[in-house]
Amino acid sequence: MKKNLKKVLAVLLAGTMSLSLAACSTGKSTESNQTTNTTGENTSEGEAKEDTSTSQDEITIKIAWWGSQTRHELTQKVLDLYTQTHPNIKFETSPSGWDGYFDKLSTQTASGSMPDIVQMDYLYLTTYAKNNSVTNLQEFIDDGTIDVSNIDENLLNTGKIDDKMTGLVLSSSMLSVGYNPSVFVEAGIEEPSAEWTWSDFIKLNEQIYEKTGKYGASLDSAADTNLFNYWVRQHGFSLFSDDNKSLGYEDDKILEDYITMWSNLMEKDAVPNPDEFAQIATLGQEAGPVVTGDAAMIIEWNNYASKVSTVNDKIKMVTPPLSQDSDAKGLWLKPGMFFSVAETSNVKKEAAEFINWFINSEEANDILMAERGTPVSSVIRQHMIDGGQMTDQQAAMFDAIDSAIELAGETPAPDPVGMSEVNEAFKNAANSVYYGQKSVADAAATFREEANAILARNNQ
Amino acid sequence: MKQSNTIIKTHYKREDNIAAYLMLSPWIFGFVLMWLLPMIISIYYSFTDFNLLNEPTFIGLKNYIRAFTEDKTFYKALGVTFTYVLILVPLRLAFALFIAMLLNKKHKGLGIYRTLYYVPSIIGGSIAVSVVWKQMFGNQGVIMSLLNALGMEQKVSLLGNTNTALGVIILMGVWQFGSSMLIFLSALKQIPYSLYESAMVDGAKPWKVFSKITLPMLTPTIFFNLILQIINGFRVFTESYVITDGGPLDSTLSYVLYLYRRAFTFFDMGYSCALAWILVAIIGIFTLFLFKTQNSWVHYEAGRE
Amino acid sequence: MGRKNKRKIHSVLFHIEACMLGFIMIYPLLWLLASSFKSNQTMFQDAYSLIPKVWDVATNYKSGFAGIGGVRFSTFFMNSLYVTVVGMLGCVISSLFAAYAFSRIKFRFGNILFGCVMMTMMIPAQVMVVPQYIILKKLNLIDTRISLILPWFFGGAFFIFLMVQFFQGIPRELDEAAQIDGCGRIQTLFKILVPIVKPAIITSSIFAFYWIWQDFFQPLIFVNSTKKFTIPLALNMYLDPNSYNNYGGLFAMSVISLLPIILFFIIFQRYLVDGIAMDGIKG
Repeated sequence: MKKNLKKVLAVLLAGTMSLSLAACSTGKSTESNQTTNTTGENTSEGEAKEDTSTSQDEITIKIAWWGSQTRHELTQKVLDLYTQTHPNIKFETSPSGWDGYFDKLSTQTASGSMPDIVQMDYLYLTTYAKNNSVTNLQEFIDDGTIDVSNIDENLLNTGKIDDKMTGLVLSSSMLSVGYNPSVFVEAGIEEPSAEWTWSDFIKLNEQIYEKTGKYGASLDSAADTNLFNYWVRQHGFSLFSDDNKSLGYEDDKILEDYITMWSNLMEKDAVPNPDEFAQIATLGQEAGPVVTGDAAMIIEWNNYASKVSTVNDKIKMVTPPLSQDSDAKGLWLKPGMFFSVAETSNVKKEAAEFINWFINSEEANDILMAERGTPVSSVIRQHMIDGGQMTDQQAAMFDAIDSAIELAGETPAPDPVGMSEVNEAFKNAANSVYYGQKSVADAAATFREEANAILARNNQ
Repeated sequence: MKQSNTIIKTHYKREDNIAAYLMLSPWIFGFVLMWLLPMIISIYYSFTDFNLLNEPTFIGLKNYIRAFTEDKTFYKALGVTFTYVLILVPLRLAFALFIAMLLNKKHKGLGIYRTLYYVPSIIGGSIAVSVVWKQMFGNQGVIMSLLNALGMEQKVSLLGNTNTALGVIILMGVWQFGSSMLIFLSALKQIPYSLYESAMVDGAKPWKVFSKITLPMLTPTIFFNLILQIINGFRVFTESYVITDGGPLDSTLSYVLYLYRRAFTFFDMGYSCALAWILVAIIGIFTLFLFKTQNSWVHYEAGRE
Repeated sequence: MGRKNKRKIHSVLFHIEACMLGFIMIYPLLWLLASSFKSNQTMFQDAYSLIPKVWDVATNYKSGFAGIGGVRFSTFFMNSLYVTVVGMLGCVISSLFAAYAFSRIKFRFGNILFGCVMMTMMIPAQVMVVPQYIILKKLNLIDTRISLILPWFFGGAFFIFLMVQFFQGIPRELDEAAQIDGCGRIQTLFKILVPIVKPAIITSSIFAFYWIWQDFFQPLIFVNSTKKFTIPLALNMYLDPNSYNNYGGLFAMSVISLLPIILFFIIFQRYLVDGIAMDGIKG
């Protein structure tokens, strides 16, 4: 089928070419301009190709990542440094904002032109891995090209899908609660401690609202399934079944309790409803209510305090509430982002060498300054703490990871294919209760039905 | 569109054919390359299971059947889009025509107003607009304060309310009437002044001048704007993507936003292509219908052959 | 005298109303401008006010012009300008020829081709971009400026349709008279028709300029190297919801990126006024 299509396309293309030639021969200025342009571009590209073939050592690595301005600056510097020390390696970079990054990556992959090294998100890693778009890095770990001895094994294995190392994790993060101490002072309440439970959490929210009229926690509990995943794990289950074809918990009451907790708090105005939260989100995290002292807490990743430190350096972090009736460890070390190497790449070995340097070298990390999140190598973390260039918030963030490795339970299996669609279903289920359109039981049942259908369709 | 009324069998002159195709050749070249081939490929995709990363596998009509029988969101998005088109198009056209008429008079500083009114169409989907709109229609925004002052207390903001969010998106569409206005303006400029002069000599009332001269002379442009707005209305994407991202509870999920998500967020390109061709069919029917009716109300100076 | 006063009052009222409407229309633009003068730290805490509490005129513009990933903002600007001007010229001229053919010549398969014109307007670009990418890749045009110009250069459905509508508003006797005088088709088109449809051509140019200038999705997919990025791509690079964002730089550069479109409009909208060339022809 595909071959036939290609033939048809070839014929049609040939047709257009002759048509365009015919147009040229009539001497219309627009066409002839365009043709000279095209040929000009082609020759210059041809020359570039010759260059690479004559000096055989020269190797170009195409690399793509998303991020904001700071990340682009720092990454570019690191790449330049690598070229300085490895003069035969050149980089072709494609920095991008988050918007459109994966649209473009999938389009490139569809036509076999994925960049050699791509920054990858956990949300999509499985999809790329299952379709064999990214290469297995295990051979480079085995032959010593990539040194993973300083990386926590659980964390490293988050990149392992179907026994293949499809992505090398760059940073880690963990669910945490960020809070603004001044709001607790204002309410005359003690700050939360690591031993607190969900019922403490609810009480705190209510008290803060009663005493100050401010929000307790300001977050969107329906944004994605991360927080709910934590909740499910505290009940001793996992969010997805082992074969990824259905949800991993049996009792819908787990979700019902979760939604009920939040909707009760919303009714008391102790936490923002989805509408109010949308408003809050417009302003960006740097102007969020926790930062400005209009809310006490936020459940976020552990880099939160470090991220907002430019606008408020008083924010503190604590581990999220424990379950009052179970000891199951809900926390896990979440991989921040990965570097994956394209299966179609011709420079896999060189790419692997670079990734190794990126993760393990002090000079690279001195420039990167943990902008992508807490570095995965314990040696690098120690080096950065010793170096003393870090802010207090960054140091606290590093500490949190070290202590979390003890607190964390088993790392969940990588997200199944169809994860973003499951998130969407979750969002709609929870919001339908918050908006009073469905009963909690209905919403939980709907979510199960939709999630199971999505998972079954995507993970055959 | 150029049906022959008098001659049953049309004879094409050879030199006419040559001349026409010569003049069309740039467009045909671009069309084949950038549209026809991609269309063929996307039709092919619509009959396959294709997630962008795998080899497409042929599955016949399954994607189309899935849309009509299994997919609730498909109907939801279709409903949102129809509502959007049916309300927005008449409102925007009426507004654009009204303002264009006002600006067609001889006042000082009209150029400035033209520019001011065209600005929203330029800054359309930019982040600044999204922030400002969210702010204006949010809890503490101007509009909410106004409603509260008028005694119409709202618990939920207009953008956060599943019943009103689409209304805000539509309002934003009306606000961007600039490009339609511009097209009306350039059409108004083309109406020969002598027509008005002779009407004034006859002492016709303004309303009569409008309905007997301006409106008929404008019908080709109204027709054009109508078709265009319907097509663009059905393809609305940016507004709901930037302002509400389809929410709350999919109440502003436009059809194209949904198929975009299907394609790139959910890795469902085959299905997304099927959705796209269903949309083309829907728009095509509307457009064809309007073209069929144009004989009865559109006034072409050139006459129809 | 009374009549004159009445007209004056009328005129003042007109201007008051027009200004009020104008303010609503450009409110977001003013907000953008004001925000570009606020510091990153206070940007959103001070979001509701149109007048910055603390004026910071230079910082945002400086950090914006510094560019991204080692490429200065002026490079993005020149890329956009090049792509837009070439694309617009090609688009308007190609569309003009096509529109003439569709509205003035009877030819085989004319209706079918016009149907094709309309169809290209109906397909969501989101599903066309992957096939388009594949074709451009086969032609070795990915990551070239040509790939950004190509979709526009050979004319666009919107412009063809617009000009067809305008041509049909012109009496056919005009062409015939010109042809009797010995004008060829090209001469008729340029000497007789183009002056009459000048407003439509100006309008088309304004639209084409704006559309190519702000096009995001196609450049996003077709261009890889930062050196060849157009402004919308550059602006997108400022934003990652999960890290600290330089909103100030983004807003400052948004202001800069809007200037050419607004300038282009201000300059060319004047020609919309003197489009009354048909006066005296028809009678």
